[in-house]
Amino acid sequence: MSRDRLTPIERFAAYQRGEPVDRLPCVPIVGNTAARVLGIKVSEFRGNGPLIAEAQVAAYRRFGYDVIRIFTDLYTQAEAMGAKVHYPDDETAYLAAPAIASVEEIASLQPANPHQDGNLPQHLEAMKLAFQAVGKEVPVTGALTGPFTTASFLIGTENLVRLTLKNPAAVHQLCEVAYQSALVYAGAILDTGCTPSLTDAMCSTTVISPRQFKEFGQPYLKRLVDFIHGRGRAVTLHICGKTGPIWEAMADTGADCLSIDNAADLKAAKVKVGQRVRLMGNVPPAEIMLQGAPAQVRAAVRACVRKAYDNPKGLIVASGCSLPVETPFANIDAMLDAVREIAWPVNANELETELTA
Amino acid sequence: MSNQTETLFRALSDAVVGMDEDQTRQLSIQAVDHGIDALAAIEHGLVDGMNRAGKFFETEEYFIPELLLCSDAMYAGLDILRPHLKHAENQIRHKIVIGVVEGVTHDIGKNLVKIMLEASGFEIVDLGRDIPPQRFVDEAVKAQASVIALSTLMTTTMDGMAEVIKLLQKANVRERFKVIVGGGPISQSFANRIGADGYAAGAPAAVKLVKQLIGVAA
Repeated sequence: MSRDRLTPIERFAAYQRGEPVDRLPCVPIVGNTAARVLGIKVSEFRGNGPLIAEAQVAAYRRFGYDVIRIFTDLYTQAEAMGAKVHYPDDETAYLAAPAIASVEEIASLQPANPHQDGNLPQHLEAMKLAFQAVGKEVPVTGALTGPFTTASFLIGTENLVRLTLKNPAAVHQLCEVAYQSALVYAGAILDTGCTPSLTDAMCSTTVISPRQFKEFGQPYLKRLVDFIHGRGRAVTLHICGKTGPIWEAMADTGADCLSIDNAADLKAAKVKVGQRVRLMGNVPPAEIMLQGAPAQVRAAVRACVRKAYDNPKGLIVASGCSLPVETPFANIDAMLDAVREIAWPVNANELETELTA
Repeated sequence: MSNQTETLFRALSDAVVGMDEDQTRQLSIQAVDHGIDALAAIEHGLVDGMNRAGKFFETEEYFIPELLLCSDAMYAGLDILRPHLKHAENQIRHKIVIGVVEGVTHDIGKNLVKIMLEASGFEIVDLGRDIPPQRFVDEAVKAQASVIALSTLMTTTMDGMAEVIKLLQKANVRERFKVIVGGGPISQSFANRIGADGYAAGAPAAVKLVKQLIGVAA
């Protein structure tokens, strides 16, 4: 299908003002899949900022989507604070061991220095280079893991969730040091020209209760959002898994856009918080984007648009979470093409009739 | 069953649901001291409590933290009551080999499934996390298991599940086991495609699935 008339930045600006656009914004959340665009191994990203930037820019140019997100895995910040991360040869990294094993060790944790610790300097370099290359035409964001999620990597998830009930003060102590670390990193991300993009996977109601999110997740997220707003940028907040019961609390962080996992319903989100936040989502990354055929991708995109094209604060058609590394290029193309086919303004009648057809 | 015994079972069950490890331990000791049948105390006390906790989990009154603390209480009670089981009662249970496939080190979901299966009377061989496909096969054969339960959280590792089934076929032992799969990126259609016997979306559902597959009364 023919390429787009507007650049992503032009498209977002016009969409924000309620002016005509060529199509809805579309973000297949490409992380390590970018390695496949360059034909390299995922592990080559480790400690190599220029290569991450090159791959992310190449992926953006290849597919023509609307946001670049510099992201390899959720552990970068925890690693810089002492967690051990395992880097398989050609797959996404995973946590090998938390930084500490007991509550007594929390006091030994220090906020990371983003210009020195772990792989943070290389990620910042990737952000800077990608922003320099294409920052005038496409928003370039840097992944920022939320304090509660980083805390789970610092002391271990099971440990942390037990502590939420047994020793809430210890959890706050962990979240505070993870927050201080995230705050400094957020500032460094902004200095590269990029905007921090918040992910707080463990805050999902698949893991903790809404009450616990309000106690241990939301306050720290709000402080980060306030900081980023203070630097004049809008913030997207992604929480994986089920989130229905916490959408309002997520909006209360002040985030401008909520990225909704495919475990939750876009239409319900629109009804609940659509007056307050833009919504982003939620084509299933595994079942559709990885395993489906282009026709299923198209149908899934149309279902998302049907549910939330009229969201008062707008819709970004996106995958429900980061794409699996081996997602076929044809499916990413199909996602963009489906959005181009729907075009703008959205013909609601056409989408509705598909339901009965 | 005497009123007093019934009251104790109820108190045990309440202590588990109430996430009270110390109370569960004390009540279990009390049961032993009073000569109450250990199996009955486990079934009508600890397991009953864990089942109630599982229901709260399904209705989203409880979340993972609550369920873990309930299981801590249950295991504290089991540690005390199990040595008092009659020998035969320890022998008849179906075995389930469970683990997280290679490449994944998150095992919270697998642990919840294990807890609920254990509470339902199954004997669990927990291989842990980051397990290569061949090990599932070897351990299941060795343990003479009825069920192999595979868990993953990452799409990149889903092929490892298919590999386990292929290896079972290759070794001509596929028919000996029911293979069930679960975890974030897994769906019924994926389970069908790789030839698994079942898929469960969560820990309580996994218990129902296993019971249905091996024909044990719920």
